Parts: sequence; structure tokens; C-alpha cells
Amino acid sequence: MRAVIAEDLALLRDGLTRLLRDNEIEVVASVGDGDALVHAVLRERPDIAIVDIRMPPTFRDEGLRAALALRERVPETAVLIISQYVEETYARELLADGGGGVGYLLKDRVMDVRTFVEAVRRVADGGTALDPEVVAHFVGRRDDRLAALTPRENEVLALMAEGRSNASIAEALVLTVGAVEKHVASILQKLRLPPSEETHRRVLAVLAYLDSSS
Amino acid sequence: MSAMIDWWKRTARAQVWAVLLLDLFVLVLWAAGGFGSLWWIWVWLPTGLLVGWAWWAGRPVSPLARHVGQVSLIGLFLIGVWMASGFGDFWPVWPIAALAFVTGLRAVTRRQQSDTRVEELTHRRAGAVEVAESQLRRIERDLHDGAQARLVALGMNLGLAEQQLDKDPEKAQEHLAEARVSAAAALQELRDLARGIHPPILADRGLEAAIDALAAHAGVPVSVDVELASRPPDTVETAAYFVAAEGLANALKHARASRIDIDVHEREGGVVVRVLDDGHGGASEADGGLHGLRQRVEAQDGTLRIASPEGGPTVIEAVLPCAR
Repeated sequence: MRAVIAEDLALLRDGLTRLLRDNEIEVVASVGDGDALVHAVLRERPDIAIVDIRMPPTFRDEGLRAALALRERVPETAVLIISQYVEETYARELLADGGGGVGYLLKDRVMDVRTFVEAVRRVADGGTALDPEVVAHFVGRRDDRLAALTPRENEVLALMAEGRSNASIAEALVLTVGAVEKHVASILQKLRLPPSEETHRRVLAVLAYLDSSS
Repeated sequence: MSAMIDWWKRTARAQVWAVLLLDLFVLVLWAAGGFGSLWWIWVWLPTGLLVGWAWWAGRPVSPLARHVGQVSLIGLFLIGVWMASGFGDFWPVWPIAALAFVTGLRAVTRRQQSDTRVEELTHRRAGAVEVAESQLRRIERDLHDGAQARLVALGMNLGLAEQQLDKDPEKAQEHLAEARVSAAAALQELRDLARGIHPPILADRGLEAAIDALAAHAGVPVSVDVELASRPPDTVETAAYFVAAEGLANALKHARASRIDIDVHEREGGVVVRVLDDGHGGASEADGGLHGLRQRVEAQDGTLRIASPEGGPTVIEAVLPCAR
């Protein structure tokens, strides 16, 4: 797997490069701002771009803007945003096109190397990875569209929102994979999502989840 | 109109030169005409008044000195007119006396107004210093008890792991896991602290997005209505955000509101933030949060109004001037 890293702090950029290389992910370019990221991705066509939100020159959300531009220009490259803070608004913007291959995680998550590398691989394969911190804000929120879900289905949806597979959800909730599949089917039906490819429907379910806040 | 005034101010120096040239030209005409009657004096007097006025207006002197200067100028002009019209009864004494009286009166009231303003600003500055001081103290305490302590624990766990790596690898692994937990907790605390100082989304996306994010976590329905033609200056934006945040926190914590309206709009070049809730009222500044908010708003020359009768509703409204 080939990755491009965009992170302006050399300390974190080097650490991340080492972490990925140790886990057999090739880092083909590492850059320090949004423009350089777009150039590097257009040149290298990596499987995934791992992008810090706050970068020069304005130190606001240029990483996110560059990532959104990449989603449009090079949709085959997955984008994983990492940041010191998470905002639901940004998660919603990233997922808005309904395609997979996006992730949004706190930088803290790199400390759990195994889970982080799993998330990188999952996003590169077209899946999603949403930080539990973003997801947690929605748990227990009452909303018309989600009101029909049972508490258990809510739990399953929260884990789906993090981007976990059915097997991983089953493990976390101590259920059988079959039971999780049933819950997932029920959630997709209750949210009245149009029939389509499985990954896409899962992303739509997550979007419905995020949209319940606005 | 203001464009014309601007042009007038910009070209002041050129105007003075033009007037002096005109005066010289008039003098040359008079000489060419064989030094007849002193008619040029009627051109010199009004133009002299204009040049003198412009000269005084451009001086960096106290308002009092400027008043005295301008009254003297008009006096000299009137005396000039009196002399040029063949002396006679000394009538200029009346307009000069009236002018001096009115100007003197104005100077006195202006002085009083500025004294009141100085007093108010001194009070506001003291409030601003106090609010900054207490914020710094809080940040220091949070760092000391939070992230710093976590990092000490983390370093200790790493040290222990290093020591036991050979003898007891299993124990070493336990220490490493603990170190990771400490690092995660320290990060979380630092993130909360940073958000309390200045939420990143406010800088990234402005007031509406930041207040929306606040509202999304409120747990009760919050309607947010932000109508601003452009982003206000940073200091105003930050203050407006904290008015919304503190108003919201107050409504949730003390008033047990079931519905909250946050409204931000422009008025007379300033930003008005209003937080309205349907809770049971009785909000007081004694609890600290609202008092700190008042200091914060007044430090920016704004005003804060809190109306919270027993039984509700509560309205908190801040008006923040934008000096652009």
C-alpha cells in the first residue's frame, strides 16, 4: 500500500512515516501544506492520503479543504484526516458525497498502533473510519429519524459510524456476526435508505446519524 | 458627501497654496492697476481666514487650544473687516464676546464628558485586566493538575518499563500500557483546555458554525440565527462566541430551560448577541460566569444586559462595537 502524508510538524510527520513503514505501508511522499498535498497526490496517485487539518499558510482548516478538493479530483485516492480536535461539521462535509474511502480521527489514535493501522487499511480499501469522539456526541440524542431504532440498534449504528465491520461490531458488543447483520439490515430499513451497494449504504446510514444533529 | 469631505481633507495643503497664489495674483493686479484703492484687502481677509482655519485644524493641540485659536482667528478677521471699512463704532466686540462665551461653555461640558468617559474606561480596563488574570490563573491550574501531572506519570511508567524490560517483560508491557493511557488523558485535557481558550472551529469557520457546534451538544432544542454581512474583527468574534457559550451554559445549568434561542445580528456597526431561554429565570452575576462575561464584554467597550425575573424568561444581550 502507498500513502502520502501531509503534516506540517516535522516531529509528527517523521513519527507517522516510521509508524506506517513499520507496518508495511510505503510512504511515497510527505509534505507540509495543502497545495503540496494536492501536487503530491496528483503526481504519486497513492492509495491513501493522511492529512492534518491545520497547516500553513493560515493554520485553519486548509488540510480539510485540500482533502475535499482531492475527493473531487482524485476520487480513487482515499483520504484520512487526522487532527488535534474533531468537529462534527467537518465529519459531515467529508462524508457528504456518500462515497467511502474517508476517515476522520483524532491524532491521539496513533497511540493505539494496531487499531490505527487497521483504520488506515480500511479507509484505503474504500471503508470509513470516524473517531469515537465524533460518534459519542450523537449517542443518546433524540431525533425523529433515529427514534425508531432500538437501543441495541443505536449501539450498532454508533459502531458502524466509526467504520467498523460487522465482525468487529460483533466482537465489541459480544454478539454473533449473524445477529449484527440482522441489526444492520433493520437499521438500513428503518432509515429508509435506497437499496444499493453495501459500503455505500453504510456511509449513508452514518450520514443520517450525523445529520440528526442539524 | 463623505467622499467630498475626504477629498477636501486630502487636498488641504494644495488648497492653502492655491489660496496664497490667489492672494499674490490679486496683489500683482493691484500693482499693475497703479496702486489705487486698497480693494485687495477684501480678497485677503476671507482667504486669510480660510488659510488660518486650515492651519489650526491641522495642529496636534488640545481641544481648548484649538478653540482659543479659532475664536482668535475669527476675532482678527472681524477686526480686519472693521478696520478695512473705515473704523467707526467698534461693533466686532459683540460677535467676539458671544463666540467666546459659547466656545467656553462647550469646552467645559466636553471636559466633563471626557472625565466621565475616562472614569468608565479606567473601570473597564481594570475589569479586563482582572478577567485576563483569572483566566491565566485557571489555565495554569488546569495545566498543573492535569496535563503536567499526566506527563509525569507517563514518564514514570516509561522509566519503570525501561528498567524491567529484561527482567520482567510482562510487567514492562503493563507499564507501557499505563503510559499510553496517561498520554491519552493528557491529550484530552489539553484539547479541552485549548477549546476553552479559543475553539478551533471559530477561527476556521466563524461564528455561525461555532455556535451551531455549541448548540448541537446542548441536549435541548436550540435555534441559532446568525445574520452578519461579513466576519467581524477577531476580538469581537471571540467575545460574541463567549456570550453565546456562557448564555447557553447559564440556561442549561441554572434555568433548566427547555428551549433556547441564540440570535446574532448587526446593528449600527456593531454586533448584537442575544440569548433567550424559557427557563425559570433568576440568573445572577454572583455565580461568576455572568460576571466574568460582563467584564469580558465591557473590556471591549460593549454593553451587557441581563433580564432574568423570577419565573423567567431570561434574556442576555450583549452589544459589541466593531471599530473597523
